[in-house]
Amino acid sequence: MTGAGKGVIYQIVAIALKELKVLWHDREALATLFAMPMFFILVMSFALEGVFEAGKKGRPIELLILNQDEGSISRQVIDDLKRVEGLILIEAHHGTPLTLDKVEQLIREQGHPMALIFQRDFSERILQANKNWSAQEATVSLMVDPVMNQQLVASIRGTIQGILERSALMAHIPQRMKQELAKFSGIPFLSGIEKPLEEKFSAERLRERGTGGVVFRTIYPRDFEKDRRPTSTEQNVPGYTIFGVFFIVLTLASSFHQEKADGTLLRIRAAPLTKASFLIGKLLPYYFMNLIQIASMFAVGVVVFGMKLDHFSGLLLVSLALAASANGLGLLVASLAKTEAQINSLSMLFAITLAALGGMMVPTFVMPEWMKTLSLFTPHAWALAGYHDVIIRGLGAREVLTEAGVLLSFACGFFTLALWRFRFN
Amino acid sequence: MPESMIKVTDLYKSYGNIQALQGLSFQVCRGEFFGLLGPNGAGKTTTIAILCGLLEPSSGKILIDGEDFGSRSKALKAKLGLVPQDFAFYPTLSGRDNLLFFGRIYGLWGRRLEERVHAVLDIVQLIDHAEEMVKTFSNGMKRRLNIAIGLLHDPEILILDEPTVGVDAQSRNAILESLQALNRTGVTLLYTTHYMEEAQRLCQRVGIIDHGQIIALDTPLALMQGLGEGLICLELNRPADEMLLRELGQRGTIKIVDDEGRRLHLTVESKQRTLRELLEHLEKRDIQIKTLDVLGSNLETVFLHLTGRHLRDTLV
Repeated sequence: MTGAGKGVIYQIVAIALKELKVLWHDREALATLFAMPMFFILVMSFALEGVFEAGKKGRPIELLILNQDEGSISRQVIDDLKRVEGLILIEAHHGTPLTLDKVEQLIREQGHPMALIFQRDFSERILQANKNWSAQEATVSLMVDPVMNQQLVASIRGTIQGILERSALMAHIPQRMKQELAKFSGIPFLSGIEKPLEEKFSAERLRERGTGGVVFRTIYPRDFEKDRRPTSTEQNVPGYTIFGVFFIVLTLASSFHQEKADGTLLRIRAAPLTKASFLIGKLLPYYFMNLIQIASMFAVGVVVFGMKLDHFSGLLLVSLALAASANGLGLLVASLAKTEAQINSLSMLFAITLAALGGMMVPTFVMPEWMKTLSLFTPHAWALAGYHDVIIRGLGAREVLTEAGVLLSFACGFFTLALWRFRFN
Repeated sequence: MPESMIKVTDLYKSYGNIQALQGLSFQVCRGEFFGLLGPNGAGKTTTIAILCGLLEPSSGKILIDGEDFGSRSKALKAKLGLVPQDFAFYPTLSGRDNLLFFGRIYGLWGRRLEERVHAVLDIVQLIDHAEEMVKTFSNGMKRRLNIAIGLLHDPEILILDEPTVGVDAQSRNAILESLQALNRTGVTLLYTTHYMEEAQRLCQRVGIIDHGQIIALDTPLALMQGLGEGLICLELNRPADEMLLRELGQRGTIKIVDDEGRRLHLTVESKQRTLRELLEHLEKRDIQIKTLDVLGSNLETVFLHLTGRHLRDTLV
């Protein structure tokens, strides 16, 4: 190798070594660089495990059972469902049999995803239907939380439907066969039997009465205004809005760093200006930027996808509190990070990890219990719950006071920590 | 006795084990152009940071216009204008927008703000470039804008921390002229620099600071007169003995600069005559000279004589 060639290599090595030294001196940024993907892998793997495993043996779905029927068919269905892997049937709460009110309360307030409700004379109606096609329908209702993942609901619904169908048919067939065969007693056995049997048990006839003579409905708790399935827009817009809102953390923290780098913070500190005035003035634009961001996202949902927003006050309340907590986190990152690299890493770490943990990417109800609990420590989860209450469950401002309050508590916590750690010099 | 605008008494500041200021005391009179001259790391910037309320001193007292600055009151802060050593403005805003912003945080609004912005742009000769984005400015223009921001709220005291660092000769001259003109309007200026020619040209009094202490304070002329016609700096091949010191002492004021006694400073009335006699005497006694510098009388030489070190990193 020529001298010039060696010289170039030495220069490259020198630059690389210098860069490593610079990185080494910013160990916090380096640590975050490794911690961020690791956190991401852990959070997403645990959370997504819920999506892929939900309703399976290792990650069972809880199904509340309200059996108002005293007959044997509903009992048979329940017994069959108990044998299904991945379903845990809950028939009592703290030793007391469930009631309709209790079932609704458990879904509404305690995060139970769904309940199977047998009407009072369910078995009797099925049996009556055998004798008289115009008899009243036997109804089974699957009450679901509207925010439930619809794919998951569909798969569980399909399982239940299959069992219902089989149980109902098993109850019909022996009785019908007996009736029909009785008509042909004493007559050459086979003559004329085919047609009436076909007529009585044809798939079309059975379909006319739903599932083996059972109507299987999906319903929602009474306090929830909408008795319809949430659209993908209603699911996605709040989630991605919250995800986007927390990207303000990076912008806000960087602006503080830039203020220091440009020397302007020094001038501001020398001016007759209180720290509080400076911070409020500095944060206000970002707060409004967040609100505009939220408004824009929801506007896209409404204008492009026809999303309905009936309870503006509730939406506004959650949005105001959400923007406050995002700004608080931004100031906290600004106070913790010492370099631009640290700001970038910390912001991304918070934005992505908290979003994943808070249910932005994977619904929290499919997460393991410990992750569900952990998600309560993220503002994201509370904001999403607030938005779901307003948009999907059709609740108003009063019903989202808790979510807004928790979000404001997050904001207060972030601001307090940030002000404690923030160094103006 | 002229009225004191800044009075610093027994100021101490430490950063961990490092003592940046060690009992610094001086005062600046109303309307005075006062220079704080010292090498890098002497404590000039720390002094200024404390004076502007950016740093808390470890101990000591500061009076601004007779009032205790310990409170860092808004009224006292408003009396001070700061021109920091590093650029301090928003590079992605125009010059005018920067001035409007900083004017507002000093409480200027409306017509008064517009007038002051125009006035300072005029002083620093940036009117034609006011609407341009600052990041497109030359270094000299940035320096001038840095000064303009400090002047904007019409402060009674303007504190300038090495405001001409990295500026070309033409821009430097324009800046110095602006500052002199400003001083003529009655503004008190506290000016730190390590350019002795600037201090000589601008300052009515100069405090020489080293290791966080004022080691000399007087008018530039008085400080230079203390050196006589100049300074002869000698380094000998062996330590000076009693006889040599006695002989040299008859020709001027002698100072041993190093511990071994090989390096000597001799302040003299007549450089030429003393030098001739000195060389003859050393030859007679077979003492060899390793280095010899004959320096004129200026603040750089004053600093060298006081500290044994040059004011700037490079030899003048």
